[in-house]
Amino acid sequence: MTVALRFGPPAMLAALTLLATGIGSSWIGPERIVSALAGHGSDTDRIIIWTLRLPRVALAILAGASLALAGLLLQRVVRNSIASPSVLGIVDGAAVGVVVFFWFWSNEANALTVSIHWQPLAATLGAAAFALCVALLARGDIAQPVRLILYGIAMAALAKALVTVFMILGPVYRASQALIWLAGSVHAAHWNDSAMLAGILAVALGILVAAKATVGQMVLDQTTATATGLPRVGTPVCMLALSVVLTAAAVSFAGGIAFVGLIAPNIARALVGLDPLRLICVTPLIGSSLVLAADIAARVIAYPLEVPTGAITALVGAPYFLFLLMRQASHG
Amino acid sequence: MSTWMRWHGTILILLLLGTGALSLHVGLRLYSPCEVWAALSAPSYSPDDHIIRGLRVPRTAAALVVGAALGVSGLLMQAVLRNPLAEPGLLGVNAGASFAVVFALSVLGVTALPVLSVFALLGAAGAMAGLTVLVVLARGTLTPVSLLLAGVTIAALLNSLTQLLVVTDEGTMEAMLFWLAGGFADRDGLLLWTLSPALLLCIAFTYLSAPALNAMATGDATAHSLGVDTMRLRFIVLGLATFLAALSVLIAGPVGFVGLVAPHVARLMAGIHHGLLLWRTALIGASLACLADVAARRVVVPQEAPVTATLALVGAPVLVSLVRNRQLRAAA
Repeated sequence: MTVALRFGPPAMLAALTLLATGIGSSWIGPERIVSALAGHGSDTDRIIIWTLRLPRVALAILAGASLALAGLLLQRVVRNSIASPSVLGIVDGAAVGVVVFFWFWSNEANALTVSIHWQPLAATLGAAAFALCVALLARGDIAQPVRLILYGIAMAALAKALVTVFMILGPVYRASQALIWLAGSVHAAHWNDSAMLAGILAVALGILVAAKATVGQMVLDQTTATATGLPRVGTPVCMLALSVVLTAAAVSFAGGIAFVGLIAPNIARALVGLDPLRLICVTPLIGSSLVLAADIAARVIAYPLEVPTGAITALVGAPYFLFLLMRQASHG
Repeated sequence: MSTWMRWHGTILILLLLGTGALSLHVGLRLYSPCEVWAALSAPSYSPDDHIIRGLRVPRTAAALVVGAALGVSGLLMQAVLRNPLAEPGLLGVNAGASFAVVFALSVLGVTALPVLSVFALLGAAGAMAGLTVLVVLARGTLTPVSLLLAGVTIAALLNSLTQLLVVTDEGTMEAMLFWLAGGFADRDGLLLWTLSPALLLCIAFTYLSAPALNAMATGDATAHSLGVDTMRLRFIVLGLATFLAALSVLIAGPVGFVGLVAPHVARLMAGIHHGLLLWRTALIGASLACLADVAARRVVVPQEAPVTATLALVGAPVLVSLVRNRQLRAAA
């Protein structure tokens, strides 16, 4: 690997982090950021950076990394670079989990009867339920990712309908919260969210690094992979499950940020090839950079207003998806 | 035509009248037939009268007209694209019209109805043209499923552009969001009463294309030998379908799945003869939209669910079963 490839993605992420921390209603230069992080600098700078800017930046980085890894795993399971968590109904499934959670566990006074910290679990369960439905529908079509995605689209439409129904059934003020969250945004970030997401991401990364040989084997076609000793059903199911958990975790904290899980693994593969360990390391970096860049754009484009981060990633991701679709169609 | 098929026609007309009448009676307040008749025949200025004449009648008319138009639009697209999954919502035509109307309203500040109609038509035609370019670029290698994915992606792209426009224009945001949610309640009366005749005329006009569509269903080569200019037919019929979808969007906002479900139900009854299919699809589309609207008023009493949600609850399973369909599987 050349020096540029080795240091490119981390350097880009670092630069974007500085930029994302600096940009806001008042610009804070890199030198002031570094001194504030080191515990020096003015109190104002320290407060702005530690309580306002950094939680958001951290959440964007972690959500991007989780979605990118989930995409990488999913593309391996399906053996096609066109798959991604956002088109498999997982994102909307997680949303169903959350609104059902709000609806079921709130009392007459519209207060939650259980801790809000169960929300990620509800999101994961919803995502898992919908992923399971899509997987069951597509079990005969696993070699045809285009059909798989279409099942995902149908299930996502169903999930969106359920979300609106449960949002109306649930408490009103929760509905407005859910709406903001569904649009996909990292602006309401909190350190606790980042800590939980970081934990999940660390565990997933650990598992993947330990199982890097398996991730490598999944590149092979079904027959060859089986011949090299890869379990035919067990491994894909485990990888799919890990992918669902990662997506659900990212979605439950940062909302539906579309297409990151599609683009990041493809960029990473173009950069470092098929080596599993390198892919596992580089893909999250790319995903983080994408979400950070989209978040910066979302803040700058209509300043002083903010637009949803998910809308920005869709503007980039949708044409790329069309490109992949056309290329696969013409290659048969 | 067998007696049984003639009965189908009668049943459909009765169904249409029944759902229309039901829609006048059912809502948050249930009215008896006597009350409805009194309000319709002898207008007074009581609150009940206002509810029935001022709210329920326009709403029912909007559901019937838009349902019929979207159903026929879907049927036409399915026929000339030879794609059982084609539908204005899934192919991005609705999204194109929505984007163009939002652009005209919020960026150019246009409010005149004729100009808005032109923008809706341009947007819908633009989305259709984009899809056609993709089909031409792929040189016939796009399967029905791939074409649908391309349409859904174009819709996602246009929706995120619409979202950016809506979020950055705080003045019109609320009205825009209401219109973009899609539905038949509280729609612009002027729009409804001026555009409905145009839609009904257009539906009647499509009847002229039925013999050519029948010829085309046998294959392009056979159609040619029967004297049908398939390119010209495709152009005209897609134009009609786009016109129907664009004006429907202007009246009721983007409403999905009617165009997918209605033609397939009609096919179950009327087979493949397009003369029968066209008007049965119109009747079924109108009844379906109206029934979904009635259901939307009652599922989460005292609130009201969006009709797009009830339609998705019906449409998504239909989409799944169509993708699983054997014939389509063979075609892909």
